[in-house]
Amino acid sequence: MISQRAIEVTTAALTGLFGVAVIVSSRDNGIGWGENGVDAGTFPMLVGSAIALGSLYNLARGALVAREIAVTWPALRRVATLFIPAAVFIALIPSLGMYIASAGYVLATVGWQRKLPLWKTGALAVVVPLFLFFVFEKLFVVTLPHGALLDIMGL
Amino acid sequence: MGSNIESLMHGFSIAITMQHIVLMVIGVLLGILVGVLPGLGAPNGVSLLLPLTFGMQPVSAIILLSSMYWGALFGGSVTSILFNIPGEPSSVATTFDGYPMARDGRASTALATAFGSAAFGALVGVILITLVASWVAQFALRFGPAEYFAVYFLAFASFVGMGGTPPVKTLVALAIGFAIAAIGIDTVSGSVRLTFGVPELVKGVDFVVAVMGLFGIGELLLAVEEELHAKAVTSKIDWREVFRTIAGLPRYGWTLARSAAIGCWMGITPGGPTAASFMSYGIAKRFARKDAPFGTGVPEGIIAPETADHSAGTSALLPMLSLGIPGSATAAVMMGGLMIWGLNPGPMLFVDQKDFVWGLIASMYVSNIVAVVLVLLTVPMFAALMRIPFFIIAPLIFIICTVGAYSVSNSYLDVVLMFGFGILGYLFKKAMYPLAPLVLAIVIGDKAEDALRQAMLMSKGSLDIFFSNVLVTCLVLGGFAFLLVPQLMKLARLRKPQSALGPVDV
Repeated sequence: MISQRAIEVTTAALTGLFGVAVIVSSRDNGIGWGENGVDAGTFPMLVGSAIALGSLYNLARGALVAREIAVTWPALRRVATLFIPAAVFIALIPSLGMYIASAGYVLATVGWQRKLPLWKTGALAVVVPLFLFFVFEKLFVVTLPHGALLDIMGL
Repeated sequence: MGSNIESLMHGFSIAITMQHIVLMVIGVLLGILVGVLPGLGAPNGVSLLLPLTFGMQPVSAIILLSSMYWGALFGGSVTSILFNIPGEPSSVATTFDGYPMARDGRASTALATAFGSAAFGALVGVILITLVASWVAQFALRFGPAEYFAVYFLAFASFVGMGGTPPVKTLVALAIGFAIAAIGIDTVSGSVRLTFGVPELVKGVDFVVAVMGLFGIGELLLAVEEELHAKAVTSKIDWREVFRTIAGLPRYGWTLARSAAIGCWMGITPGGPTAASFMSYGIAKRFARKDAPFGTGVPEGIIAPETADHSAGTSALLPMLSLGIPGSATAAVMMGGLMIWGLNPGPMLFVDQKDFVWGLIASMYVSNIVAVVLVLLTVPMFAALMRIPFFIIAPLIFIICTVGAYSVSNSYLDVVLMFGFGILGYLFKKAMYPLAPLVLAIVIGDKAEDALRQAMLMSKGSLDIFFSNVLVTCLVLGGFAFLLVPQLMKLARLRKPQSALGPVDV
């Protein structure tokens, strides 16, 4: 079970880290008043400080929030059934290409639920990449990544 | 005034052509589709369509995109009423009374009430734009960099002060947007900023990628978490009941007028449609008789949020056109589109791009009529779509967002970034951070920064320039008032128990 507090603290920590990264990175561009007016790093530095300080405040506030439940275990499992295959799908795009990866993704997520007959799941996994191919590659002439696999096969 | 009517007539001659009517129909239908599907909303629907408009005339492209926006606003109400599932964040308040009314067997009455008041709200918004936009633009032509920065400041301050989310969270969301906008090549000095060692980031982060992740993937994760059950009521439309209901709407004139006024105000100041609909519902409840059974299907409970939602959605285009400041997340995406098509959003549009501006304004009258007719005709069809189980729809939406993010600039990095924004969007929603200010800041962050730096250059580094004349002083002070007055009022009210109503998210 995940508490509201855990979510508040995680979010504030993430935004805070980003704020610090912005401050550190902006120092490369110069801060203050230069020959051409305000130096390029000044605005990011101010913005980064606002993020870092605001996050610190949110972190403190978040840590004090009552431990009410924000996401229950069954809900978290449902999120995971979408999230994990999606992450794998995105990770596989460079090697398998958009078409094969999306077919596999549909097979995995819809198949995982076991609520649809196998032939329907299979049909869906074939129709989706075909649809993408015709809409993007043919209709709007946007080349989607074919992936290393198809490159090796010479397609 | 007279010249506005003349320009509008000219606009109609542009908007009412076969090609543009077809675009409106396509836009509205696509809009209803994204509005109906939970997990796909107006902001990311419009961003998905954006890359496909690059070859079009700007006026045709904006008619397509804005029609999609109107369609999405209508589509969100359909699922709110029939399934108790808000298809759009801005139609959450419609579920309070819309679904109970439909459950009682009065689905046609509920839908007709919603669409009738929505159309009224949109009409008020468009009339406001017709009458006021060019005047505001003319006024804004006199603005220098300092005035511009002050207007941006006013817009951002009103987000922080009146957005309804915790002010420090809004501030952090805004600042993150500014930082993301700064990534890449700095337009003033030409130096590369905030790439964090990733060379590909030199091109910057496209707002479309951010919108796709924050709104698309984030909403999708939320939707699976909440496990939507489509408990549909009948979606058959009784046309006689529809006409009877719409004819009876003027009886609620006071509610309509008040809600439209709230909507216009929230649309122009960037409160957005979601905050507007909640506020309007809350105020309608407060103004009603004590025994009015709100929450069980009273007409006012549908009229108030719907009118405000649509008048806010429409009038959000007013500041976008005349000042270059979008009033909602979707308007921000459209404004990004304007810049990609090579137009410069802001007062000069009314001078240089008369056809574009008035074509758009005229199209808003026409496409809202198109939207009402189409949404009534297609309710059964889109309701059937909702019966497809969500475990099938969710991966499809995910694939669409992935392909959409990739096609922005054929970059795999964008896909990874989109996924990252998706996680951020989910966390932000869970922790009640607003998403709209983040998107707004990504879109206009560069312009705000440039205005500030130009103003500083003019004054040789002195902040006095923000108090150098009456106009800019008023704008800056107004910004501080928006920022501080709500906080002071909260402090003053601390001893009293908090009231339960308040606008939430987006």
